[in-house]
Amino acid sequence: MLKLLLPGLLCTVAEKVLNPVVGMDPDAQSRLNRLQGKQFAVRLRGIPLRLVCTAQQNGIWLNSHDEPVDCSISADLSALRQLSDPSQLTRLIREDKLQIDGDLQTLQQFSQFFQQLNPDWQERLSVYLGDAAAYKIAGGIQLLQRRVQQSLQQTEQSCRELAQDELRLTPVAAEVQQFSNDVSAVAARTELLQRQLAGMLPQSQAFV
Amino acid sequence: MSEQQHSGTQDSTHFGFKTVARDEKVSMVANVFHSVAAKYDVMNDLMSLGIHRLWKRFTIDCSGVRPGQKVLDLAGGTGDLTALFSRRVGPTGQVILADINESMLNVGKDKLRDLGLVNNISYVQANAEALPFADNSFDIITIAFGLRNVTDKAAALRSMFRVLKPGGRLLVLEFSKPTEAWLSKVYDLYSFKLLPAMGQLVANDRESYQYLAESIRMHPDQDTLKQMMQQAGFAETSYHNLTGGIVALHRGYKF
Repeated sequence: MLKLLLPGLLCTVAEKVLNPVVGMDPDAQSRLNRLQGKQFAVRLRGIPLRLVCTAQQNGIWLNSHDEPVDCSISADLSALRQLSDPSQLTRLIREDKLQIDGDLQTLQQFSQFFQQLNPDWQERLSVYLGDAAAYKIAGGIQLLQRRVQQSLQQTEQSCRELAQDELRLTPVAAEVQQFSNDVSAVAARTELLQRQLAGMLPQSQAFV
Repeated sequence: MSEQQHSGTQDSTHFGFKTVARDEKVSMVANVFHSVAAKYDVMNDLMSLGIHRLWKRFTIDCSGVRPGQKVLDLAGGTGDLTALFSRRVGPTGQVILADINESMLNVGKDKLRDLGLVNNISYVQANAEALPFADNSFDIITIAFGLRNVTDKAAALRSMFRVLKPGGRLLVLEFSKPTEAWLSKVYDLYSFKLLPAMGQLVANDRESYQYLAESIRMHPDQDTLKQMMQQAGFAETSYHNLTGGIVALHRGYKF
């Protein structure tokens, strides 16, 4: 009953989060002016929703419709995360993980806009908490951010090394087959030995 | 209920469940909206539990609005749709908020100014049956919860068709007929018992909200309105039932 209204709810919430963040970036306005009047649509594969972003002087406005826009992309979630690296575009398109219709420059401009978004949280916090407290909290958050980033990088590096080492140790299919054959041969010999032992047991009891 | 039954006879029309002279209806509806204007937004949120915002959002989605377009928000009242359109058409576009009722228009004007929306919005006091605009003026026309208050709906639809540009679209968001029998019963109970009581409590105005419930029942159902739009000249007409048909969004194009 509410299926048709869900995209609207999603867009409303997203706008309420996104536009205050844009407002906190003192440099966002000039970048937004360059994008003004441009529309960009994203369709995530597997989700029946096409999200349209309209850039205007006063913010980014979201809608969900199928009308023509300046640039539209259809991608899966993993491809979307790689869009920040322009060198990956050709590979993603070739692998059919990404489909682009329209003006590629608009896509790059929107991508740059979101990547360069750098909200001044400290300034906003200082309104409520005062300059000193805001400075300390912002410093703490930055420190935490750096540590989390370092920790993530280390984990990624460890995982990569582990995967590479394990790869060297992992047997190939032929080796697994050979091992399996050897195990079968040992099992057959053991069975034969068991039978021979069972035959010899009555004789040994006769001697006793 | 046929279109003729909805619009009354040549000399008379409906005002809720009452039959009144056509000339009288305009002033009676005007009195209702003069009375409710100040509390209109609060009552909308209360009565619909805020869902009216999602109905309006859906209308914007179906309009396919683009930067630079010219939009007429007819019977725009307190300007909810105008605000959504204004942000999307940008400085190269224009939104005209039109309403026959001066009190509603003033509330809308104040609200939009408070939101900082001033550059691309104009205000016009206009009767939907005789729109004071040149032919082929607008890319999009919307009328949200307004058509049922218009005395001659067919004339209003013809007038909208005239001022719409070829290729433009009309969106009519209006209360309609619930599609499920159980919902219809719950809705009747809500509209005729709870709604007037809420009107009395919040806006100190029981009669206006009694009229609201009655006028919804007298409004054409989904298929009748679609037919009326076709008769006015609109092509590719369609509608979406929202919240089980309590509200329907009709869309038609001028080609």
